[in-house]
Amino acid sequence: MNTTKRRHGLHVGVIFSMFLVAGASAQNLSTKSIAAQGKGSAQAPRFVVDPLWPKPLPNHWVLGSVTGVTVDAQDHIWITHRGADSMANMEKGAILSPPTGCCTPAPPVLEFDTAGNLIGHWGGPGEGFDWPQSPGGIAVDNKGNVWITGAGQPEAAAARPAAAPAANARPAAPKPQDAQVLKFSKSGQFILQIGHAGKVEGSDSKSGFNRPAAVTVDPATNELYIADGFGNRRIVVFDAEGGSYKRHWGAYGEKPDDGNLAAYDPSATPVRQFRTVSCAAISKDGLVYVCDRQNDRIQVFQKDGKFVKEAFVSKTTRGDGSVWDLAFSSDPKQHFLFVADGHDKKVFVLRRDTLEAVTSFGDGGRMPGQFYGVGSIAVDSKGNVYTGETYEGKRVQKFLFKGVGTSR
Amino acid sequence: MRSKHNLYIGLVFLILLGSLFIGQSFLDRATVAEGAAVMAPRFEVDPMWPKPLPNHWYLGSTIGVACDAQDHVWIVHRPDTVSANEAAGDAKTGECCSKAPPILEFDQAGNLIGHWGGPGQGYEWPESNHGITIDYKGNVWIGGNGTNDAQVLKFTQDGKFLAQYGHSGKNGGSNDQENFGRVAKIFVDPKANEAYISDGYLNKRVVVIDADTGKFKRYWGAYGNKPDDKNLGRYDPDAPPAQQFRTPVHCAELSNDGFLYVCDRVNDRIQVFKPDGTFVKEQFVAKRSLADGSVWDIAFSRDPQQKYIYLADGRNQKVYIIQRDTLEILTSFGDGGRQPGQFYGVHSIATDSKGNIYTTETYESKRLQKFVYKGMAPVTKMDQGTVWPAGSSK
Repeated sequence: MNTTKRRHGLHVGVIFSMFLVAGASAQNLSTKSIAAQGKGSAQAPRFVVDPLWPKPLPNHWVLGSVTGVTVDAQDHIWITHRGADSMANMEKGAILSPPTGCCTPAPPVLEFDTAGNLIGHWGGPGEGFDWPQSPGGIAVDNKGNVWITGAGQPEAAAARPAAAPAANARPAAPKPQDAQVLKFSKSGQFILQIGHAGKVEGSDSKSGFNRPAAVTVDPATNELYIADGFGNRRIVVFDAEGGSYKRHWGAYGEKPDDGNLAAYDPSATPVRQFRTVSCAAISKDGLVYVCDRQNDRIQVFQKDGKFVKEAFVSKTTRGDGSVWDLAFSSDPKQHFLFVADGHDKKVFVLRRDTLEAVTSFGDGGRMPGQFYGVGSIAVDSKGNVYTGETYEGKRVQKFLFKGVGTSR
Repeated sequence: MRSKHNLYIGLVFLILLGSLFIGQSFLDRATVAEGAAVMAPRFEVDPMWPKPLPNHWYLGSTIGVACDAQDHVWIVHRPDTVSANEAAGDAKTGECCSKAPPILEFDQAGNLIGHWGGPGQGYEWPESNHGITIDYKGNVWIGGNGTNDAQVLKFTQDGKFLAQYGHSGKNGGSNDQENFGRVAKIFVDPKANEAYISDGYLNKRVVVIDADTGKFKRYWGAYGNKPDDKNLGRYDPDAPPAQQFRTPVHCAELSNDGFLYVCDRVNDRIQVFKPDGTFVKEQFVAKRSLADGSVWDIAFSRDPQQKYIYLADGRNQKVYIIQRDTLEILTSFGDGGRQPGQFYGVHSIATDSKGNIYTTETYESKRLQKFVYKGMAPVTKMDQGTVWPAGSSK
């Protein structure tokens, strides 16, 4: 104990100088993003990346593409990732036969404390449920249950950039397309499944999904809102306890339609259907915020599906679209919305009342505070932001809340 | 420096913790002074180096790093290895990002101070960039491991073309005396003005050329044998060591005392030669590593004796610290992952005059990292794992 304390004292100088460096670089980053944004004197929360969060994983575990991040009531941070299926053989040498070297895919669900310690891990196929071939979003509800969506498409069709087939890669049997939502206890005990892998249903189904992307539970009503999804074009609501169907709706609160849509055109009249429904989040004042990813927009609804308003974010973005995931600021009024834009590699900070972007942070790259495929975002009770990166990004990052200030 | 540091520590203890701990401190120091423990250079990653690139520039697979006489850090990368999402700025589907020029120069503070490279008049830019070195005259050399690459290129530091040796598409095998076979790296010996070519991804040899004229002077294969391009089949750690290099021959670095260290990557070994090609000895490293192999690149420590070799193992995601005279592994740092100090495909390694280490990563990892030299320290673990700054939360 004494030894530990003493060492800690010794390192204060080192820590201090490290923070100076970190501060300088962060300053550089935030100056850049604000300059890029070119806004006047709006008030916005400020953040500095914590380059050394979370702590290194044990057992030579490595993350695959991270598809979901969430924070529970204890401020524990939960992530889910795609594991071995999102890795080239060179990344997972320890599980090949014969093993070729480091490393091992980490279990698909990981729980960290705010200090970045790994305090729980589980997930994978089991009895009585269809573990997703590719997990999507993760949520921990007010009762402490963990929800995971299955967002994968058949293996043969899966796009895996830069994962060059290695000489000893074995062709895998095609896996059923994900169309299910799963509920577990925090320790990973299976509780409930809605929908079934391989039983793909359309946007008017009352029993199944098509690659659901994310979920959230409304604590007021114990209802489960499902962003459905990468295949369907709707929000669908189920009872979070018994799993019975309640209601669903498409863009503008209208009936969803799975017919073909022309490629997104920023200058065209906004389409009346969702393109990719990649998130659903409920504010404390009872509004449902939906990410319509490839339409570059947020649509806001009442809980009964009545359309309230919409806002475009980085509207000229094509490709994968700009509105991947969103989270609310931690103040009681939830003044701000954080939008993860995996195509433009940044996090937009929006005023929730006007849905106007006041600033952004981040840029493309592999260094701390930079992004590639930032597709999931969450906020803890102290206002710190956590992001997950998919594709080759394969990491989770923490941005420390530094108070609300003027964005020059 | 060290004793000043210790004095300062003692003072801090006195003020903060009282005399009880001073006694403890003396005990600790006494243990170190006895020299019971093996000592090795210690490093900590600098998580904020280099600074963010301008213009939404993005690195591709980064397959070469070198330090010049001014301690500037040079890298070469492959801009075309980025995906459509990464290059969304170039594709005009989003604002980020755009491919950075293939050759980038950083100062010690991590500022980008130079950038150039790409096809031009009078030379054949490689199909796939590979390896960079700055010679004692300040010239920049690069190789290339694309299908047709059989040339090395020499430029000034501001990117003016100087010379090309060998020609694209003209590879004639490991006994060709005019062309190369997908060159991994170049080292220039200032004493003899000779360039040592790690040749390469297609050929199985080291070639020595005149650094001014490109004239072939000598070449050899594993154990100093005449190189032979016969297919060796897969590497088998339990078989007798192959009498030829396996491709790629991934580095060839000459020490100040005149020994050439060659990375025989997929054979998981370093072979040591005299400059004339006489075989001296070999050492296996992580011998059971399959697939891409363990011995990717080496750099020498910057003390006059070059007591240590730092070896980048892109298969096992770590850097070994090896005692040069015995080729014994003392310790290692790094582990798999995308956080600072972790690696995926750590491909190239270099040291600056202050003893700091720079690494670059290929495949998906696409970055340059700096590991700050923190002096000598007793070895407590064979594998140190991720080396974060002391006092950080790890």
